Amino acid sequence: MLMLGIESSTAQVGVAVGSHDGVLASTHSSRDRRHAESIAPMIQFVCQQARIELSDISVVAVDIGPGLFTGLRVGIASAMAVAHGLGVPMIGVSSLDLGAFAAEHSSRLIVPCYDARRGEVFSAQYRSVPGGVQRVTEPAVFTPDELAADLLAQNEEILLLGDGADRYRDQFEMVGNLEFGAKGLWYPSARSLVELAHPKALREEFVLPSEIEPLYIRLPDAEINWKVRDGRA
Amino acid sequence: MGDLILGIETSCDETAAAVVRDGHDVLSNVVSSQIDIHARYGGVVPEVASRAHVEMMMPVVAEAMVEGGVDKDDLAAVACTVGPGLIGSLLIGVSAAKSLALVWGKPFIAVNHLEAHLYASFLEKPDMELPAVILLVSGGHTMLVLMEGHGQYRLLGQTLDDAAGEAYDKVARYLGLGYPGGPIIDKMAADGDPEAVRFPRAMAKDGYDFSFSGLKTSVVNYVRKNPDVADVDIAASFQEAVVDVLLTKAQRAVHEFDAKGLCLAGGVAANSLLRARTLELAEADGVAGFVPARSMCTDNAAMVAAAGWWRMASDGPAPMDQGANSSLALPTYA
Ligand SMILES: [Zn+2]
Repeated sequence: MLMLGIESSTAQVGVAVGSHDGVLASTHSSRDRRHAESIAPMIQFVCQQARIELSDISVVAVDIGPGLFTGLRVGIASAMAVAHGLGVPMIGVSSLDLGAFAAEHSSRLIVPCYDARRGEVFSAQYRSVPGGVQRVTEPAVFTPDELAADLLAQNEEILLLGDGADRYRDQFEMVGNLEFGAKGLWYPSARSLVELAHPKALREEFVLPSEIEPLYIRLPDAEINWKVRDGRA
Repeated sequence: MGDLILGIETSCDETAAAVVRDGHDVLSNVVSSQIDIHARYGGVVPEVASRAHVEMMMPVVAEAMVEGGVDKDDLAAVACTVGPGLIGSLLIGVSAAKSLALVWGKPFIAVNHLEAHLYASFLEKPDMELPAVILLVSGGHTMLVLMEGHGQYRLLGQTLDDAAGEAYDKVARYLGLGYPGGPIIDKMAADGDPEAVRFPRAMAKDGYDFSFSGLKTSVVNYVRKNPDVADVDIAASFQEAVVDVLLTKAQRAVHEFDAKGLCLAGGVAANSLLRARTLELAEADGVAGFVPARSMCTDNAAMVAAAGWWRMASDGPAPMDQGANSSLALPTYA
């Protein structure tokens, strides 16, 4: 089995290819947000590096968010088209799952926290379990103060990671027993995506390209306003 | 069997894919419109449009291939609109189209949305004689173009403020008629008196540029002062003023540049008065008049595939790091 992974839900964009032997090749860029420009050349690059043909890929994994809407959709649209074009199934994985998975050996409560812009962050909580991590709260959007208050109430040792953790460092520093994740954990990575999706592929937890659903969490502003105006909120 | 091009279009609020042979023979033309989704907001909401595009993109492509009876191996290239338009919407089509081209081993062709509208005429009339004056009118654009050859355009004039379609939407919103304004006003105008109110024809005499914001303002002012005048008469008089200005300039261009034809393009070209007058005028002037089918005037991917076929021959494939450009201009000279 050869898996292509595409990840573009944050300021970083990356592509990786993996097999039963683990990640064969990966690349990423966190320079300016040129996700749409980068993905296709990155796919060509990782295939060359791994010395495989695109037609050998048998499953496509993609980060389904939450994240920055435009970048997220660019990754999903690219991945769907690759899977559709090759006639292969897909696996969708949450960006927060990827963030937590990269810190899977921590004994602390693992809390990925990505910048959602407009003064908010996306976050969820995880615990390390044999063979990976287990999500203990649902992905949601918070203001940094809300999340800090929530973590303070946990009363346990916390590993907070992600570009959102870094951006709002001041608000989170008030939480005791909190450790900030290293810079290498600021963004979900295509490497983690391929590693985490691999066991799912072995269990055949596949979806069709048309069944991939982005995890937006936040409604479009216009829809929020419309519901408020109509008293439907 | 000729060159089959898969065209993809996501620049605004239509998710579309089509397969066209040799720039004119339409094998399939699938359009998933979001008009109903945006109607409640009174206009296109970019984030809402992008969400719908990502959901519809692959089903629309799949349907275009099946309906055209085409296998990926039959395709000569994948063409996609790269601008102008809503950036978040454009990027979905571009990302999907590049990925398909990549995995199918086909060239990727970057298409300018405005040029694609101009090519709607060639879908039905591939042997159209040039030069032709093309009036491109839509919700986002109002341009008078002299097409002298394939890929050779002279921009004679364009709107200095609102696009013609935008003026329709704004007047419809002011009158409380709903969205989108074009088809609604067009329908009402059929029952009204176009001579009821003489609205101003801005800049009708000077140059080839247009201005519609003054017309919109005078409609609003008139209705405020004369609340008893029937909406159908306002609609008919407004439409008369718009069409009059558009075609006065188009006709002058036909004469000045000795054009062999006069064509319409863009969403507003679906307007019945504009269509009828264009044909009348062309006939009176002894030039070929051409109005594409309504389905080819509004955004679609058949026109993208048609323009892509010409672009492939002139420019070849676009690179895999091609992005989208929300303000891409029509490639013109002079
Ligand atoms: Zn258009």
